[in-house]
Amino acid sequence: MPDWASMASLISLGSVCLCLLVPAAADADEAIDFSREIRPILAEHCLHCHGPDAKQRKADLRLDELASAIAERGGSQAIAPGKPERSTLLERVQSDDPDVQMPPADAGQRRLTRGEIDLLRRWIAQGAKWSEHWSFVVPRRPSLPTVRDATWPQNGIDYFILSRLDREGLRPSAPVEPVGLLRRVTQDLTGLPPTIAEVENFLADDAHDAYEKVVERLLNSPRYGEHMALAWLDAARYADTSGYQADWERFMWPWRDWVVGANNTNLPFDQFTVEQLAGDLLPNATPSQVLATGFNRNHRINDEGGSLDAEFEVEYVVDRVDTTSTVWLGLTAGCARCHDHKYDPISQKEYYRLFAFFNNVPEKGIDGRHGAAKPFIEVPNPAVQARIADLKRQLETRHATFAQLAEGSPERKAATKEIAEVAEAIKKLQPRAVTQVQVMQELPGRRPTYLLNRGVYNQPDTSEQLTPGLPSSLGGLPHERPADRLAFARWLVSEENTLTARVTANRLWQHHFGAGLVRTPEDFGSRGERPTHPELLDWLATELVRVNWDMKALHRLVVTSATYRQSSHTTPELLSRDPDNRLLSRGPRRRLTGAAIRDQALFVSGLLSGTMGGPSVKPYQPAGLWEELSFGTGKTSVDFYVQDHGESLYRRSLYTFWKRTVAPPSMAVFDGGGRDMCRVNFELTNTPLQALTLQNDITFVEASRHLARRMLQDGGTSADDQLTYGWRTILTRMPRPEELAVLRRSLERYRSVYRNNAAAAEQLLRVGESARDAQLDAAEHAAMTMVAHTLLNLDEAIVFE
Amino acid sequence: MNEQLNWERRRFLAQSASGLGVAALSTLFAQDGFAASGRPELPHFTPRAKRAIYLFQSGGPSQMDLFDDKPAMKEYFDKDLPDSIRMGQRITTMTSGQKRFPIAPSIFRFRQHGESGAWLSELLPHTASVADHICFVKTVVTEAINHDPAVTFFQTGSQIAGRPSMGAWASYGLGTENTDLPAFVAMTSLGTGNKNDQPLYDRLWGSGFLPTTHQGVKFRGADDPVLYLKNPPGVAPELKRAMLDDLGELNRQRLGIVGDPEIATRIAQYELAFRMQTSIPKLTDYSTEPKHVLDMYGPDVAKPGTYASNCLLARRLSESGVRFVQLFHRGWDQHNTLPKALRGQCADTDQPTTALIKDLQQRGLLDETLIVWGGEFGRTIYCQGELSGTNYGRDHHPRCFTVWMAGGGIRPGMSWGRTDDFSYNVVENPVPVYDLHATMLHLMGIDHRRLTFRFQGRDHRLTDAHGNVVRELLA
Repeated sequence: MPDWASMASLISLGSVCLCLLVPAAADADEAIDFSREIRPILAEHCLHCHGPDAKQRKADLRLDELASAIAERGGSQAIAPGKPERSTLLERVQSDDPDVQMPPADAGQRRLTRGEIDLLRRWIAQGAKWSEHWSFVVPRRPSLPTVRDATWPQNGIDYFILSRLDREGLRPSAPVEPVGLLRRVTQDLTGLPPTIAEVENFLADDAHDAYEKVVERLLNSPRYGEHMALAWLDAARYADTSGYQADWERFMWPWRDWVVGANNTNLPFDQFTVEQLAGDLLPNATPSQVLATGFNRNHRINDEGGSLDAEFEVEYVVDRVDTTSTVWLGLTAGCARCHDHKYDPISQKEYYRLFAFFNNVPEKGIDGRHGAAKPFIEVPNPAVQARIADLKRQLETRHATFAQLAEGSPERKAATKEIAEVAEAIKKLQPRAVTQVQVMQELPGRRPTYLLNRGVYNQPDTSEQLTPGLPSSLGGLPHERPADRLAFARWLVSEENTLTARVTANRLWQHHFGAGLVRTPEDFGSRGERPTHPELLDWLATELVRVNWDMKALHRLVVTSATYRQSSHTTPELLSRDPDNRLLSRGPRRRLTGAAIRDQALFVSGLLSGTMGGPSVKPYQPAGLWEELSFGTGKTSVDFYVQDHGESLYRRSLYTFWKRTVAPPSMAVFDGGGRDMCRVNFELTNTPLQALTLQNDITFVEASRHLARRMLQDGGTSADDQLTYGWRTILTRMPRPEELAVLRRSLERYRSVYRNNAAAAEQLLRVGESARDAQLDAAEHAAMTMVAHTLLNLDEAIVFE
Repeated sequence: MNEQLNWERRRFLAQSASGLGVAALSTLFAQDGFAASGRPELPHFTPRAKRAIYLFQSGGPSQMDLFDDKPAMKEYFDKDLPDSIRMGQRITTMTSGQKRFPIAPSIFRFRQHGESGAWLSELLPHTASVADHICFVKTVVTEAINHDPAVTFFQTGSQIAGRPSMGAWASYGLGTENTDLPAFVAMTSLGTGNKNDQPLYDRLWGSGFLPTTHQGVKFRGADDPVLYLKNPPGVAPELKRAMLDDLGELNRQRLGIVGDPEIATRIAQYELAFRMQTSIPKLTDYSTEPKHVLDMYGPDVAKPGTYASNCLLARRLSESGVRFVQLFHRGWDQHNTLPKALRGQCADTDQPTTALIKDLQQRGLLDETLIVWGGEFGRTIYCQGELSGTNYGRDHHPRCFTVWMAGGGIRPGMSWGRTDDFSYNVVENPVPVYDLHATMLHLMGIDHRRLTFRFQGRDHRLTDAHGNVVRELLA
């Protein structure tokens, strides 16, 4: 067993190895790249006191601007280009004199390393060449780099990846075998594994573009839109409740369905953006475009008794600014709510000019009891309306029959009762015939916006009313139309903005590879990580614009690259060189999300419902979870968890009801919580609670039973055939003989147990509300259920690789 | 983004993989359970408390009816709160519309207790018996006046959702002493209090931007004390064991081919889950407790999910090495009929709370366990609703209220801070929530300024940019 001390020492070795990944200028003459090597040092150690924050700034020195950094101050310069010996910055970072040293002794920060100091010295000696932060520079389409093996690349992406591997002296991994590739791309684009028939069709297709055909099929599958919506719902902090205190129910699901539909019709991302941020302001806005603006009304809304409207009105606008700047700009603008941003060029005043774009909604701070908070639109609910129309037709028929019946006859009495029942059913359905969905709307005038001191709602600086506008570091809006949300949304997807295309391409890369080219997808600022492949990021960003923001085209590009098609198998050497796969010398391998794990279990068992859209559903959930925390008296419609039955138990997880204060447990345990606020980055843990969930949650036990039924009924007659069928259904590939041997042994054991314990078999087969096939022998079925359960719990079953 | 942690883990795995061969990995990870290790640089100094038990009283207990005796108020019955006291400070909209703010003196008798002479209300006879162990902080000040933001602030140091809770920080910083149990456990209860009392939210024990390994694992009074702990019906433990053996074998075969060390971790997690299926029911089975111990906690201890039962479970978890145990007891939000409701609330909690202190003491654990008792704010001296000689209600009050602490590193038998005659403003030694947090972390060996996590480009900490350790509270 390793103790912590030895583990720690191994970890410290790691920091040495990381240097391998950054081809640092080991050569003293090599030109030092300011953006890559120097700015991160300044951002880490200096900008807190010598950065954009005017209030915090010490000695009136800025190290985020060249002019200030090289200014003469009383005969000395912090940075004297070409003259390290005259640069006080170098003196101070090396000094041990508490009055001189930087960072100051009492700042609680570490000193600079010798390597960092050396870099600074050589950079100054080379003339202290300054450049703007990379993400604020317009991306230019780079030419494809040269590579040693020109036969490997399948498309542009691969040149960038391979040229980097060439430099590192690494080779890409071998291609994943066809079955593995089919599994990977099917899970990746639809969230579900391929069926055995799909595998066989793929293997039987000798066409040179067999894979491309599969990709087209998957991109055109309605499952694609559902799967791609999940990450967007996390970013958009979508949920079915309001999120504060009592956590009232709301009805934003038509907006969720809008997202799924937009993905499936491949609405170009620029339109996807404009409609969600400002669809209401488009000329002749369609109902669908207004519905899209639900994006920025998905934030939490408070209803707590005694709370102050003014306080929470501010919170909602803050949330919109934070979410919008995270999702489209990759900027932590929210840091400038209370003071100038400490690391990036966004002043507090500029923050409130962004705030002004979103501060013009006719809304109330305390709202959202019993449904939608103003402003909202009413969206027809076609399923309910059809049901009402149907009932009304029935009513007419019955009235007609009724008229023919003799007065006082028993038939007439029965008919009276029936008519009353149908009328009652219609009355009950009426309120659900339309759904009120929260959307954006603009006040006729303009609500004044002021800078809020320390970000506090009741401390406006009324000396200056602020107009909507961009931070100067991001450029300016065109003058031909008013600076409103629509102008802002259009600017976001214009070529003047250096960020949106990069940030979007990066999130798309994250979807496929588990991590973005920028591994801090929420922060493209000076404290965020630099891209591992900056040229590739810019190439993808410009490609996205070139194809008119066609997201399917970009997904297609990624999944048809050679980079994507590499095997994800690894070796100790690769793990040691590149533990996080930053160089992409192998394919992606990571655990699936909770939603995907559940959907897959339902799919392979044949239980998954294909129904799309509509109100959220309430599948199995351990009793009492809501009740323990809620008002518990039925004050809200979500005090008690009223589980659904039938088909609703087996819908895709996208449609599972999301109560913000008590997230669905089987998703939360797989790191899927956090619909309180915008989230674009993902963490994957590996915990015993996940193991317990997969073993004991009703969903997975019931799915095992149905998968077992399929194995017994559709898998052939011999045990080996049945076991192979189950294996292929969940894992896609064929089992190896050693693996089949384990399953055979398992099955034998379970058979002997359940043959001798009929009661136990019956109990296991009763888990879940779906009926079991009584034709099957209980002991056989229970034994195979345990085998299927083992399969669903395999590491391989719950990873994407 | 927790690049660093992930990276470190993978780095370690990579090193092990190259040094030991992939197949040997799975045995290595028997220890990789719940946040075993914490941060390597922690503790920053010798901790005074190895573990903490936080008895959170949700809703806002009334300080002037329990701890902060204000005899001068007898003279003010039904008189208006002087403007010189209110000073235009904001109040909630539940009472801001009231025509008057009549003073409601507490109807409960106060007496001094122990050698320390602590003043306590008659509603807390049991607490009174351990008064000499307790340090009463009478001048805690918070920034929020409504429950959701106030509770969120108390748990996470921010009124805005999305930050890690205090227990998650402790787990992240210190890890657990027992790798078979989570470092952070949360429990909730509601006694005789208003069923319509303040709701709670997952985020109060959430991990925010820290990895979810650090979020509080909820222990419940239900059939399954931890979610999904029990095997499905028809699956006996021996059968489960056999299934895990097969599962492990298949996973190991795959590990040999794929080489991803996460598979080794997964195997270890399944083994830990299996051990939890035995160890957790043992923890929640009180049949090994002697009768005199059970009696100390009172009759409710036999009912899973009650405050009394949670207090005993807190002791057992803490004793087993759980770093941070937090109870959330609801029912203190007494806007009306406060005297009756408060009586019930105290009857539910006074004895078990006291039993926990005595129990830890008799086991020699009190010195190394920090106990904290308190809610998210206090209540107003002025009456909400009807005032009579026997009945009144009180609104939320953030400007001064009492939180008490006992055990590891706390100076016992003292009161800290002074409020005015109306228990409305702090006269001496205010203790902002940040300072309370800083002090709690300090006792656990953590410098609150140095326990940070980079998120959105910023090094976040529990105390944000604030917080001072209140040295006077330390033993």
